[in-house]
Amino acid sequence: MKLEISPEKCTGCWLCAAVCSARLAGEFNPSKSAVHVESLLPEKIVIRPYVCIQCDEHPCVESCPVEAIVEDKELGIYVVDKELCTGCGACIEVCPYNGLRLDPAENTAIKCDVCRGKPRCVEICPENVLSMVEER
Amino acid sequence: MLGGYVGKILRVDLTSGKTSSENLNLKWARLFIGGKGLGAKYLYEEAKPGADPLSPDNVLVLMTGPLTGTTAPCAPKYAIFTKSPLTGTYLDSYMGGYFGAELKFAGFDGLIIKGKAKKPVYLWISDGKAEIKDTKGLQGLDTHETEKRIREELNDKEVKVASIGPAGENLVRTACITVDLYRQAGRGGAGAVMGSKNLKAIAIRGHGGVSVPNIEEFIEVCKEITKNDVLTEANLWAKTDGTPCFLPMTQEGGILPTRNFQMGVFEHATDIDSDAVKKIRVRRRACYGCPLGCGNLTQVKEGPFAGTIIEGPEYETLALAGSNCYINDLAAISRFNILCDKLGLDTISTGDAVAFAMECYEKGIITKKDTNGLELTFGNVKAYVEMPKLIAHRKAIGDVLAEGVKRAAEKIGKGADRFAVQVKGLEYPGYEPRGSVGMALAYATSDRGACHMRAWPANVEVFGGGDPFTTEGKAQLVINDQDLYCAKWSLVVCDFYAIKYENIARLASAATGWKLSVDDMTVIGERVWNLTRMFNVREGFTRKDDTLPHRIAKEPLKGGKADGRVVKPEDFNKMLDEYYRLRGWDKEGRPTKEKLKELNLA
Repeated sequence: MKLEISPEKCTGCWLCAAVCSARLAGEFNPSKSAVHVESLLPEKIVIRPYVCIQCDEHPCVESCPVEAIVEDKELGIYVVDKELCTGCGACIEVCPYNGLRLDPAENTAIKCDVCRGKPRCVEICPENVLSMVEER
Repeated sequence: MLGGYVGKILRVDLTSGKTSSENLNLKWARLFIGGKGLGAKYLYEEAKPGADPLSPDNVLVLMTGPLTGTTAPCAPKYAIFTKSPLTGTYLDSYMGGYFGAELKFAGFDGLIIKGKAKKPVYLWISDGKAEIKDTKGLQGLDTHETEKRIREELNDKEVKVASIGPAGENLVRTACITVDLYRQAGRGGAGAVMGSKNLKAIAIRGHGGVSVPNIEEFIEVCKEITKNDVLTEANLWAKTDGTPCFLPMTQEGGILPTRNFQMGVFEHATDIDSDAVKKIRVRRRACYGCPLGCGNLTQVKEGPFAGTIIEGPEYETLALAGSNCYINDLAAISRFNILCDKLGLDTISTGDAVAFAMECYEKGIITKKDTNGLELTFGNVKAYVEMPKLIAHRKAIGDVLAEGVKRAAEKIGKGADRFAVQVKGLEYPGYEPRGSVGMALAYATSDRGACHMRAWPANVEVFGGGDPFTTEGKAQLVINDQDLYCAKWSLVVCDFYAIKYENIARLASAATGWKLSVDDMTVIGERVWNLTRMFNVREGFTRKDDTLPHRIAKEPLKGGKADGRVVKPEDFNKMLDEYYRLRGWDKEGRPTKEKLKELNLA
């Protein structure tokens, strides 16, 4: 399973990040969300979310010096093992999709785990920017 | 567990350069919730009665609500509170965007700013800390450039910035605060108050969170309300069109301000209506947590203003800076709009001021000597797009108009006050009362001068098939709106979600953990309205200030459904008498002791 993004529809409401952080951190806190919104205004009319799309290449896995990004075989996705992660940021640097983030408080990488099957961001997005694809 | 609030208020004394953090007053929070109510309470307690609004004695309060930063639908807003330099009254002005949520993520529910910095500064708030920083080269820059430079200096592209442009620095009384590029605290001159304090900007970045008692339950309540009460017929206009959809409606109702309120219809309305805006719309933009997303990001594609990108124009801009100036060139309105956003001017008051100046010019009261050589006739695009610059920089007639139309008319003389359309100094917004008589009362009794966001009887009497000309029942209609809006702006929920008390109470309860009923929220609404009235009473405002402008009372409207009509002073006074009586206020418009006691205000 993985997420797909239709960036042209995004209005930049951040609801995706708000519900994501509620699950990951138990509070509304976009800086602890796996999904993140960026805008290029006022120069360009571009607003879009960034989130891990569970790409086939997964350079993040190879980049990690402590092998903290591990495969969840049951779901067929790669997730961060927070116990192992040292917060070095190598995965964030190497990701071509701008899909990972650093939790500033815990100093660990945040990587989407598709809510283990029922992604909240997909459900709440009022513009259907995010969708889930079952196969990979 | 008490939720919604982050529990801290940041206090800033610009004179001494000291900042401190204090606990949110929870007793006040229970009585006034947040946003409008709590901001008004802090302002009322902190303000020095009779203070000059542009002196260090004036106070700026910024307040979020318990929903700010959460997943509550349409709750991105927060407001700035001060004594208005335009009206001398209580002022609150609401902003959208992301800044309010960021303030809570940075650990504060609100700010209290006093004094005056010795030299221009900006306030930098980050994760529970605050710092007053030298503006260095920021003085004189427009708001977009200011935002950009501050982000560069702080080396964080996610910093949220509220700033003033040259207009605020030059103490233009209609100066706004621009936030997140395209969102403004537009009305009443809060930008000039920042300018008077040498405060160029407020920058915020936070990595903290907002908690509620049961976050899963809270999200479910939000989802249910979004589905059944937000994404419904009553609100979907905001998603499909945004505010430009009001233009065909006011045109149809004959209440579209045209030629400085001489007419109620605009023959070129279709050039600037919702369909016209859609033609230049690239995509939509939403504020934090809003499933409606009313902002139209537009780009002018051709002509002299090609390339202009704005979020807008909104209805009020199309009306006051469009038809009211007899401008039917949407690209020119976009240009005027971006100039106002960047220079830091309210598009409503500025549109009205330009329309007023156009009438002065056509009547020969002012000439090219006053206008820097501009041929300032109605509809002249070339002169029109120069006016925001003259006003913001206080050049030529712009220096006079920078004082607002009330003071400008006094200065110009020669009967100009007869067509300066304002209440308490705040210029009229986009709903002509001669074709919507309840609006005359709404504007007269609004706590910040002529404002359409305190009560909106046009929605019933014009758009809702009511009788727009009868005075019958209008006082109660205005009161109901004022109280309801006070309640919703205390959460803070946006104007564009037509929320009722039931869901106001549900959202407030789910966020705070207090059991707040419909009755509780109704009383809170009335309490807040009486509090802002008490601020104005303390400043010396009485019935004599709850006025009907000369033009509306004496000059028959031209064109449309209300052609030939005025709002008769005797009809207006009848509504006002009834309004005071129903409010429990005396004949001078002062809340009685009994009323204040009943509302826990005395």
